[in-house]
Amino acid sequence: MDMNIETPEDQNEENSRRVQVRFKTKLKPPQKVPSNSIAIPSNLTRFGLSSVVNNLLQAVNPEWKSEPFDFLVNGELVRMSLEQFLLAKGISAEKVLEIEYIKAVAPQKEEEPSLHDDWVSAVDGSNPGFILTGCYDNLGRVWKAGGVCTHILEGHCGAVSSVNIIKSDGLKYVTVATASKDQTLRLWKFDAEELVNHPKKIRSFKILRGHKASVHSIAAETSGNMVCSGSWDCTISLWRTNDSDAAGNQVSIKKRKGNNQVEEPQLEGEAISTLVGHTQCVSSVVWPQQETIYSASWDHSVRTWDVEMGKDLSDIFCGKALNCIDIGGEGAALIAAGGSDPILRIWDPRKPGTSAPVFQFSSHNSWISACKWHNKSWFHLISASYDGKVMLWDLRTAWPLSVIDSHKDKVLCADWWRGDSVISGGVDSKLCVSSGVSIQ
Amino acid sequence: MRERKKSSAVEVSSVKKKKEKKTKDNNEPREQKEKEESQSIMKQQKNTTSRSKKEKQRKATEDYQSLRESELSGDEVHGTDHDVDNADDHHEEDQTDGSEGHRGVEESDSSEDEVAPRNTIGDVPLEWYKDEKHIGYDISGKKITKKERQDKLASFLANVDDSKSWRKIYDEYNDEEVELTKEEIRLVQRLLKGKAPHTDFDQYADYVDWFKYDDALHPLSNAPEPKRRFIPSKWESKKVVQYVRAIRKGLIKFDEPKEEEPKFYLLWGDDSSAAEKANHLAYIPAPKPKLPGHEESYNPSLEYIPTQEELNSYQLMYEEDRPKFIPRRFTSLRSVPAYENAVKDSFERCMDLYLCPRVRKKRVNIDPETLKPKLPSRKDLKPYPVACYLEYKGHKGAVVSISTEASGQWFASGSTDGTVRIWEVESGRCLRVLEIGEAIQYVAWNPLPELPVLAVSAGQDVLILNTGLGNEEEQRRVKDLLHVETPTAPDVLDLGLVEDHLLKNLLLALMFTLDGVFGRMASQGRLPLHVFHPTRSIFFVSTKKNIRVYDLLKQRLIKKLETGLKEVSSIAIHPAGDNLIVGSREGKLCWFDMDLSSKPYRVLKCHPKDITNVAFHRSYPLFASCSDDCTAYVFHGMVYSDLNQNPLIVPLEILRGHTSSNGRGVMDCKFHPRQPWLFTAGADSVIRLYCH
Repeated sequence: MDMNIETPEDQNEENSRRVQVRFKTKLKPPQKVPSNSIAIPSNLTRFGLSSVVNNLLQAVNPEWKSEPFDFLVNGELVRMSLEQFLLAKGISAEKVLEIEYIKAVAPQKEEEPSLHDDWVSAVDGSNPGFILTGCYDNLGRVWKAGGVCTHILEGHCGAVSSVNIIKSDGLKYVTVATASKDQTLRLWKFDAEELVNHPKKIRSFKILRGHKASVHSIAAETSGNMVCSGSWDCTISLWRTNDSDAAGNQVSIKKRKGNNQVEEPQLEGEAISTLVGHTQCVSSVVWPQQETIYSASWDHSVRTWDVEMGKDLSDIFCGKALNCIDIGGEGAALIAAGGSDPILRIWDPRKPGTSAPVFQFSSHNSWISACKWHNKSWFHLISASYDGKVMLWDLRTAWPLSVIDSHKDKVLCADWWRGDSVISGGVDSKLCVSSGVSIQ
Repeated sequence: MRERKKSSAVEVSSVKKKKEKKTKDNNEPREQKEKEESQSIMKQQKNTTSRSKKEKQRKATEDYQSLRESELSGDEVHGTDHDVDNADDHHEEDQTDGSEGHRGVEESDSSEDEVAPRNTIGDVPLEWYKDEKHIGYDISGKKITKKERQDKLASFLANVDDSKSWRKIYDEYNDEEVELTKEEIRLVQRLLKGKAPHTDFDQYADYVDWFKYDDALHPLSNAPEPKRRFIPSKWESKKVVQYVRAIRKGLIKFDEPKEEEPKFYLLWGDDSSAAEKANHLAYIPAPKPKLPGHEESYNPSLEYIPTQEELNSYQLMYEEDRPKFIPRRFTSLRSVPAYENAVKDSFERCMDLYLCPRVRKKRVNIDPETLKPKLPSRKDLKPYPVACYLEYKGHKGAVVSISTEASGQWFASGSTDGTVRIWEVESGRCLRVLEIGEAIQYVAWNPLPELPVLAVSAGQDVLILNTGLGNEEEQRRVKDLLHVETPTAPDVLDLGLVEDHLLKNLLLALMFTLDGVFGRMASQGRLPLHVFHPTRSIFFVSTKKNIRVYDLLKQRLIKKLETGLKEVSSIAIHPAGDNLIVGSREGKLCWFDMDLSSKPYRVLKCHPKDITNVAFHRSYPLFASCSDDCTAYVFHGMVYSDLNQNPLIVPLEILRGHTSSNGRGVMDCKFHPRQPWLFTAGADSVIRLYCH
């Protein structure tokens, strides 16, 4: 990235005004500058400020390797020259300006993409050990770091539309769920730690039938006992994931054994509950808390469901068909959603009496296919769009922090991985991993 | 004055009387003549009493002059035989004058009881008898014949001889000659002088106070002034009280005094507007000729003088374009020649004023903006397709037809490259490619979601295709269905899929009855367009210019819609079923309201080229048309359930993006069944999705 090489620009300093600033940070001592105020030219941009800080750090510690920083004034990222910024925000330049600096958030490195046989339609990076992807060739895949495919989930007869890692809490076996356009959901179990040099094909241990149309999205409960799925039949179904109650369903599996060449017993499950209310395809569901499910639909609404009651608690009307939804941010309460227009909207459901979005990010050029909050930061989220770009956003500025332009065609899915990487899959059959995103 | 006049008349009459008395012994005619004379004078006097004195005086002078003249004219000279009589008269008169003067005055009032005149015709114009032999009738009713007239010469000679002839007067009324006495002439002369006719009448006599007498102690009445003259009248006060009561009761009403509106006028206002206000024919002044400017001065500034080049260029101009006046410089006003066009110019101006009618025209001042129909703002009609975000690429030939699945998850497209493709809407993925081998004409997805089958018309065949979507159960059903249906005879018509089984049977039955219609149209070499009513058993078929509406149950024509277009290219029906849009080859779009008339409710001229297809949205109030000009138009078409309200049509958006290929643009357009999105199939083998 261009920020790695930094040179102080002293040429313009002569003919410009100066502001008194004091840099402060929450970073650890090696990155801390002395807290006395200095005068800097007011026409410095983020790049200039960053070089100033790096120079200061070098003055203290000669071995310091310069590093890009981002600067916050009154809780907003500086995205223009300091002078313009102060003018725009109406901040007085008379007093000593307190500038907080943080590490710049941008991917440092582009990993080698993992090639699939068909469009990558779904990705899940919630387990730091592996990446789970779903593909239009009806297969799910498990990837290790470095682009190694360890497992292939085989069994769907339609394109996999959504994948979700259910349990990864230190157990040896990991349970994952996939949703497919063949109207079923499948649960899979495999040993993630297993070392294989050739991709191992595994079969699902449980098939969840009940939807009358393609299943579009899937989300697991935090405890991992249940999953919910949104489908084209306008419903959200809740399913149990445990394999203990499968005895009654064994018979139906045996019937099917004739044309199934695999002898492994397959369980079938039925929906324990169905949430009805949406009038069109439920395109995305998230289950961030035990009792609440958030869903986005093509009927232009975002609904909040009470799991126990089976009713929707609130309804945010958006006006556009929605493709993706995620919950996160401040207090894990902000709703980010994108859909059939290039605007990523963020609502705060705690704000009473309004359904207007609190943030709107509109740098994309086409439909937004995925959006994900960073699970630790309150401010960062990514969005993927059909224009082939993945954008990294910070709520404190209206411009994207960085644009990952590694895909050639539509990006269908994106997620965070390990807290410092952005993974995305698209129509060009690639799973791209952009690592080195340093978020404290 | 008047008194004097009267008295003179009296005297005349008195003179007559005296004469009568004196000449009693004279012969009858003489006597009569005199009487008549006095009568005529009387008459003259009577006639003139009413006239003013001046007039009388003038008359008298005339008489006198006529008297003088008569001597010359000789008209009234009758003869010499009167001489003696006259002389006698004079004599006698002289005698009686003094003695009988007073008596005459006393008897003056009784002038009426004189002897009646000889002629009795009364006061009629004498010219009535001018041509008669007689002058009138006497008292016994006999005609009085006119006297023989002397010839003029003789009468003249007679007058010359007769020294008294100047005293003779001809009395026309009685047709006789009267000789005035000396006294009479004197009287006349006095009258002419404006004096009293009698010499003895003292005009300035002393006043005699008859009421004065010597022993008069008291005035005529010495009674004291009566009391009533000093006190207010009781009767009047009663009357006043009456009036007051009447006024109070309201019996007497007075006209309310008109409140005078203060009259203001614009001191500096324009008079011309005031003239316009008057509704009578106002005078329109002739436009003033243009005043001469600097260039018409005898010594204009140099910049007004045309250069030689300009003068030359004038010569090249047309006669009409040439400047009328070319400024020239003169050293002095003396050397300015006469203006050679003066007569011509004034003639032309007169001609202009004469030929050009000056009429005050009332011009309605309307802002053209207000004449535009009030359309709602586009913002209020959202959502509607605006921008293209997705393209579906894969076909190798022009995409001819598209059809969406009922839920809106997939759609199918048919192309001239002989393939049918099934696409996923949300991702743009082509799920399946079905090779047909022949150019596809039409694709239609089954509206029933349980049977995901596709009807495709290619060449001479209609194919029912399995899309392969849906779960195993549905697939099995589809396979069963297709197995049964394969033997059905393929038909030329691309039927679409009929929702109702009843309707389907009916359609089969109808196919034979309509065979004649279709047969004829087939012979014209074009495929008939048709559409089913969404709820009722009504079927719309287009001929080249008209739409025929058939009732399928009764199997007969119920309506004929006249499009007025050159050639119908596409039709679509509103989901409520009462409105129909028809696209034409000349780029016009007709909206028919079936409840209104058989003529189009609106004709929209929007596309410069052929309209290839039109479509209604199933739930949103939208309709679209696509054309060979590579654009698709989206309209707001609101149909109200209130029958009194006509449909509202608002053009919303022109969707561009397709490129032309072989002269064809957009071949088909279909709305997404649930979203306000529009699919357009282009001849450039791309399908585009326009989202809101």
